[in-house]
Order: sequence, then C-alpha cells, then structure tokens
Amino acid sequence: MARAIAPPAPLSARLSGDRARSRRIVDRIATGLLWTSASTVVGLLLIFVGYLFVKGAGVVTWHFLTGSPSASEAGGGVGPLIFNSFYILFLTLLFTVPVALCAGMYLQEYAGPGRFRDLVQFSAESLATVPSIVMGLFGLLIFVQTFHWHFTALGGALTLTLLNLPAMMRVTQEALAGVPATLREASMGLGATKWQTVLRAILPSAIGPLTTGVVLVAGRIFGETAALIFTAGASVSYGKSAYDFNPFHTAETLAVGLYQTHREALVPDADAIGNGSALVLLVMVLAFNVIARVVGRRLTIHFTGKA
Amino acid sequence: MVGAHAGKAHRDERIAVAVLSTCSAIFVLAIALILFYLAWSGTKLFFVDHVSPFTFLFSSDWDGLSGKFGAAPFIAGSLVATGFAILVGGPLGVAIGVFFSELAPERVALAFKPAIEVLVGIPSVVYGWLGLTLLVPLIGRVFHSGGDGLLAAGIVLSIMILPTVISLSEDALKVVPTSLREGSAALGATRWETISRVLIPSASSGLAVAVILGIARAIGETLAVQLVLGNAAVIPTSLLKPASALTAEIVMDMGDAPDGSPFQHALFSMAFLLLLIAMALIVLIRIALRRRA
Repeated sequence: MARAIAPPAPLSARLSGDRARSRRIVDRIATGLLWTSASTVVGLLLIFVGYLFVKGAGVVTWHFLTGSPSASEAGGGVGPLIFNSFYILFLTLLFTVPVALCAGMYLQEYAGPGRFRDLVQFSAESLATVPSIVMGLFGLLIFVQTFHWHFTALGGALTLTLLNLPAMMRVTQEALAGVPATLREASMGLGATKWQTVLRAILPSAIGPLTTGVVLVAGRIFGETAALIFTAGASVSYGKSAYDFNPFHTAETLAVGLYQTHREALVPDADAIGNGSALVLLVMVLAFNVIARVVGRRLTIHFTGKA
Repeated sequence: MVGAHAGKAHRDERIAVAVLSTCSAIFVLAIALILFYLAWSGTKLFFVDHVSPFTFLFSSDWDGLSGKFGAAPFIAGSLVATGFAILVGGPLGVAIGVFFSELAPERVALAFKPAIEVLVGIPSVVYGWLGLTLLVPLIGRVFHSGGDGLLAAGIVLSIMILPTVISLSEDALKVVPTSLREGSAALGATRWETISRVLIPSASSGLAVAVILGIARAIGETLAVQLVLGNAAVIPTSLLKPASALTAEIVMDMGDAPDGSPFQHALFSMAFLLLLIAMALIVLIRIALRRRA
C-alpha cells in the first residue's frame, strides 16, 4: 500500500530555493487534503450511526420488534415486517446461491476464453447495472401482470435473485481465483477428474471467502427496497398469523415499511416507527458485516488450516 | 471395476458441465428477457398510445392521469442530481482511493476500510431516511428554504456513490507498477507530484470506470432520491426548490397508474430509458477498458 512510495523525496529536499520549498508545501497541502477527505467520510458514518442510535434506541423495544403494525393508532410494531425480510432473504438465497455458484464455477474453472464466456460476463455486468427500480418493474411485468400472482413473497424473491445474481457470481469467481493453481495441479495429477477437483479440492479451500461474500450479499438483499415495492407489495398480508410462510402472499419487508412510513402512514407515531426501523436496518447491516468476517475466517481455518 | 469407476466419473463430468453451463446461460437469458420486456412495454406509449417520443423527451407538461406525458422535468432532475453527485463524489472518491492506495498507514487502513464497507451496506431507504430527517432540515435552516430539492438529492447521492468510486479507484491505482513510483521518486518528484503526474494519468482508464459506475449507481438510485427531492414535476430552476427524477417519479406514480393505461406505459417508458442509460454506461466501460488493454 503506502510503503511503495518513498517519503518526501530526498533529492528535492536537498535542493534549496523557493521552488523546492513551494513544491514541498504543495505536497504537504495535498497530503493534508487526502487525509481530510478520508477522515470526513469516516466521520460521516459515525454521525449517521450516532444519529440513528440516538433517535431510534428509545423506540426499539421487544414489543416494537415482535408486535404487529397498527393501522391508525400509535404503538404498532414491525414484527411481521422483520419476519418477511428474513423470509424473502431466505427465498432469494435459495435461488441465487446455487445458480450463481454454478455459473461462477463454470466461468472460473471450465470455460476457456471464448465467445460464450464473454457473453456470460457481459450479461452479468449488464444485469449488475440494471437499476433496482427497473428490475422491480420487470418483476411487476412478469410475476404480477403476466403470471397473475399479484404481490407475492416469491415474486419479490425472484426479482431480487435477478438483481443479486451478478454480485454472487463475482463473489464465487473471486473466491475460486484465490485458490492456488498448485492445488488444482496436485488434484488432477492424482488422477481426479475436473469435477472431482472442483468439488473436493477447490470449493473446500475457497469456502471462507465464499461464505464471507454470500453473507455480505445477504446483507444487501435484506435492505433492498425499490425492487420489492411492486413485486412483494407494500402491505402485510392478513392471514391467520402475522408470520405468514405462504410464498404466494403479499409480504412487506422492513425496508419497504420504512419507506411507506413516510409516504402514507396514518399512525401518529410514524416518525418514531421510522426511526426504529432505520436503526434495526442499520444494526442488521453491521451484524451481517461482522458475521461475514468471523464466519469466513473460521471456515478458512477449518478447511485449509491457514489463518 | 476400474473401468466402471472411470465411467461413472466420466458421466459425472458430463453432467457437471451441462448443469454449470446452463446456470451460466441463465444470465444471458435474464438480461435478454429484461431488455425485451422493457423495450416492449416501454414503447407502447409511442406505438399504442401514439404519444410522440419527442413530446416524451422534451415536453415539460406532465399529468399522467389527464394524458400529458412530457418527461423532461424528470430527465432533467435525474441528470442534475447525478451530475452533482459526480462532481462532488467523483473527485472525493478518487482522492480517498488515492489515500488508501498510496498514503494510509496499515493501521489506519484497517480502521477505515470497515467503515467504507458499512457505507456500502446501508440500505438506500436508510440513506433516504437520514436525508429526510437530518439533511433536509439542515439545508432548510442554512438556506432558508424548504430544504428538499436537488441539493439534498445531490448530497445524498454523492455519499452513496463514494464506496463504489473509492474501491474501484483504489484497485485501479494499485495495479500501477511500483517501478513507476520508484522511477518518479528517483527523479526527485514529491509524493504529490508522483500521484498527480504519474499515477493518476497511468490509472486513468481504471479511474474512468470507477466514475462511470458511480454514475450508473447515482442515476438508478430511487428511494433515497425520492424521499428528499420534494417531488415537483417541473424543470428544475434552482437546487433548493422541489424537483423530481425518473426513478422517483416511477416509484411515486406506479401505484396510481391503472394497468394497461397510457399513464402506466409512460412510466414503463421512463424505466426503459433508465435501462438504456445503464446499458450505454456498460458500453462506455468496455471502451475505457479496451483502451487500457
């Protein structure tokens, strides 16, 4: 990283005169500005976190986390919304992980350079830049208007799958690329086929970074909003229970709920509910980040013996 | 025995190749379907409802329920907000990328990097909520305005594109060979001279990619922008007045537009326009990368 550049150039330091001095001053100013920029961003994050904790901490109680939303009175909770967030996350991972893992393995281990690989790579890059709201409208066209499912957890999860396939494939590719070539050679040299090599030698030794990546993507899926409003819907289904496992029911998530509190909440404590929801979402992001790192490191040690 | 075993391994191999390549093909199929369906629904406004594309792009007369489909206010809003984000977030992001790649002592990098990763993970609706409850009142107090508008949206977007720009520009700088740094230092250049005259020019195409992906993120951002824009369908004349954007208008109006109505078609046209912009940016990135190769 930083060690690559020698500290303030010795030659220019030895040159006397105004020009050398002004060059040194410019260098100092630039260094100061770069440090300021980086510190500003970290400071901003601290402000965001501090603000959300101050505003939301008083709201987040056990009742808030598990209670049902209220239509018009104060004191409603977000329990079903949190459940729906996890449920849609689970469904999304169920589709995303196998497909992206297989595609990543194919591109990284099987496909030689050629037209098919270029095409898949280009498709993945294009898919990755489709804005979330545009993907949401695609989901609306397919699952709601063409299949007539109405707003469903499944439609939402499939839309999120499309949105997150590229990131998950990238995670796979990077994890596999980190496996040393000697491992492949050793396995093939022992007479294993390519598939045996991939399955029993390469995947286990890539499991650490792979898990880290999956959990980080999961964090993004958890907070996704725009793609869900018109696919999974913006209301909680009123089935027998607030915790509804039917994938063909409407499923408003916590993030969508936060958006709706501003748009059309009728409850008098909408601001408090918004602050509480925002805090829960932030804490979840932090949790996913920590889990990703801890579990990834553990698995790497377990499967490769390396720290 | 051995033969049967080898036969099974051989069969597994063929199945594996078939399954893995099918999964890869899903990516191609997905983007093809998305392009097709959005092109299909996004042009109905012109072919079925006979609204001229010229009106759609350049008229500022918008009232979806009474058949006025001039999307110019939203196109302008999207462009201004994105432009603001790139002018502020672009240089700041590249500067922080330089910081991580060239300056940051290891311990500082270890402390700062997780912060950047958390910034990536914060959901866009939470950025919107922060913008709405923290930034908009602040702008309102400083400029004696309502607070919502393109300035608020631009600031929120600047922060949101930072992680993308930072990590990609750091990557771009790190692949510049160390020998260039050493050569520059040996010629007596200060660190800043090395950065500004050697490293940034030689990493320029990678830095361009970082900024282009920042643009892509900014123009498609929806909720954070919608929550702070104030949502007025007018051509923006001030950064401090309520405005709207393509994404914001889609999410605002979609619930009100009846299925199959020209109103809904117009919203699909806006989504198709966003998709075309995203695809154009991907092509730009390809060009930037080819120039490097």
